Amino acid sequence: MTLLDRLWKDAPLATRNEITPKLGFVLTVLLALVWLIPFLWMGVATLRPPSDGFNLMAELMPSLKPTLDNVRDAWEIGDFPRYTLNTTIICAGILMVQFVTITLAGFAFARLEFAGKTLIFYLFLMQLMLVPVLLIVPNLTLVAQLGLYDTLTGVMMPFFASAFGTFLMRQAFEAIPTELEDAALIDGAGLFQRIRHIYVPLSMPSFSAFAIISVTSHWNDFLWPLMVINSPDKRPLTVGLSVFTATAEGTQAWGTIAAGTLMVIAPLLVTFLIFQKRFISSFVTSGIK
Amino acid sequence: MLFSRRLMLGLAMASTLAFPAMAEGPTEIDLFFPVPVDGKLARDMGTMIKEFNETHPAIKATAVYTGSYDDTLIKTRAAIKAGKPPAAVIMSANFLLDMQIENELTNLDALIKSDGSTKEQFLGQFFPALQGNAVINRSVYGVPFHNSTPLLYINADKAKEAGLDPNKPPQTWAELTDWAKKLTKRDGDKVTQWGIAIPCAYDYCGWMMETLTMSNGGRYYNEEFGGEVYYDTPSMLGALTWWNDLVYKHKVHAPGATPGPAVSTSFISGNAAMMMLSTGSLTYVRDNAKFNYKVAFIPRNVRNAVPIGGASLIVPAGLEAEKQKAAWTLIKWMTSPEKSGWWSRATGYFAPNMAAYKTPEMVDFLNKNPDAKTAVEQLDVAKPWFATYKTVPVRKNLEDEVMLVLNGKKQPKEALVAAQKAADETLKPYNETSLKLP
Repeated sequence: MTLLDRLWKDAPLATRNEITPKLGFVLTVLLALVWLIPFLWMGVATLRPPSDGFNLMAELMPSLKPTLDNVRDAWEIGDFPRYTLNTTIICAGILMVQFVTITLAGFAFARLEFAGKTLIFYLFLMQLMLVPVLLIVPNLTLVAQLGLYDTLTGVMMPFFASAFGTFLMRQAFEAIPTELEDAALIDGAGLFQRIRHIYVPLSMPSFSAFAIISVTSHWNDFLWPLMVINSPDKRPLTVGLSVFTATAEGTQAWGTIAAGTLMVIAPLLVTFLIFQKRFISSFVTSGIK
Repeated sequence: MLFSRRLMLGLAMASTLAFPAMAEGPTEIDLFFPVPVDGKLARDMGTMIKEFNETHPAIKATAVYTGSYDDTLIKTRAAIKAGKPPAAVIMSANFLLDMQIENELTNLDALIKSDGSTKEQFLGQFFPALQGNAVINRSVYGVPFHNSTPLLYINADKAKEAGLDPNKPPQTWAELTDWAKKLTKRDGDKVTQWGIAIPCAYDYCGWMMETLTMSNGGRYYNEEFGGEVYYDTPSMLGALTWWNDLVYKHKVHAPGATPGPAVSTSFISGNAAMMMLSTGSLTYVRDNAKFNYKVAFIPRNVRNAVPIGGASLIVPAGLEAEKQKAAWTLIKWMTSPEKSGWWSRATGYFAPNMAAYKTPEMVDFLNKNPDAKTAVEQLDVAKPWFATYKTVPVRKNLEDEVMLVLNGKKQPKEALVAAQKAADETLKPYNETSLKLP
């Protein structure tokens, strides 16, 4: 219970002696444990020697003879450093371009007046309702025509503009008081200067929230990179990992799969642990209230 | 000068169909391949292609791993539509008809002819049972690369323990049911050892349903016309009812739909005493089983019959002549007796090229591993794998219903009626052709 006591200290002062928040808190802890189980299993399965056999495969109890064989196997099967680099390039590249496009598009929808603004905005939002799989063939055709088949740029291309990001930035910019912009205008700031010095700094939480969503979704994307990439040295992590998970006959070496999956998610997991505070707060704060 | 230029041109015209050959560097081609078996084979494939490139300096082939059989179909189709078709693909043998209907395949007759060979001579290299999936409308569209038939695997130690003779495996469904009952161990209500395991996941489930239906005298689909499947029939109803009885009446088969990898794992761990699985898993079982095992033909109810499985090499439509030629060279090399024998020994699939079994390495291997002969002997009763218009969705129409039955949510009859209705709906566009009446 000491752990609970320590966590209790974080609860707001006013509610410290009430029962409902405590219940909510206990539920949250339980939920967190449920979320943790797959990660725990992955760690246990990674260290389990293959000799434990199938019957112990689903056990959460760690093996008494932990081994690193699975990690070694997974490491040998895939060129993981290379895959990690490719995935990083893809995610970072997409995010950089997205920041530019969603800032400008978001600003246009939030502050500029032009004909058909509402209609165009709704058309933009309609993109959110399309299933990505629908677009595979038309996107691939376009990528091939641009001469980007089998390139990392080809993988990034379709995601350079983001309907969700545009929507998010429009909401963030609309919440910023126009008085701030007027003040800058009086000081003689141009359009891009106003965006750069007023709108962007005040919308940082929205940017970081979008960055998390963008990076995690493209980090885990499998089908689209599989379509575009042929060269083995351009494979991202997901495609590289599937080499030894997508077996139809034969068997699935769960230990190796767990080890490989651990390697794939490790960079994201570590990043999350380092910036945890920032991540959480980016979802709850907003500019001036 | 003029003379030599003309000569050069003439040579160029002769060497390709219409394009003057570019004499710069090797022809670069991509081969798409799925890994239906252990991931280590992805490396074996790399070894094979490396050897090809060393022995054929005019061609530079790259092996591109493309996921499961179903993913490989999606990627190949997307690449064809984007105007970037790969030169060759190892494609699940039952997808060829669907691709041919959609005009996505190169007819290989002309390439066979250009080698001075006839269709009969070319196809004659392969086991007759494999020709049904490679030939469409009397033209060759695929070259068998690695093939399989389903087998019954028996844990011989456990059979002896139960007082059964593993050298006389069950030959009929009645005998198999009896074996499964004797091999199931119970501890009160809890089952500690299942008598038999049969896989059911997308892809495998349809194949197993075809196996059981054929053993029951049925047909699964119309071999002559891509627009009909026979799901709601007595032969398939008998097959699914028997499978359902193994689970819910005799309680000798675990409930639920078990994917192939889980079936082989439970057989290896002694959790299931028998299993029905592809010969493609044989190498895995041989390497991992810590007990004596036996492989046998799939038992019959009406007749001995099984579908083939595995994959063929295809050449997509829309390639330049030069790449087509390079792909053809690669395909012939990969399906030669030596290479297909080597791949067979690495995987457990049998080699489609009959001459592979005459090579000294193979004779030697079969003497050491007589279990590898069973799948080849079973070819005498093998027939083509179901192939229809939109093979994958039509297959899933049945698989979804079979999964409901195995999970105890539906009875066989209503499931098959629903599967038939869904499949007829999927096949409708193609059936317009046979319903166009004067």
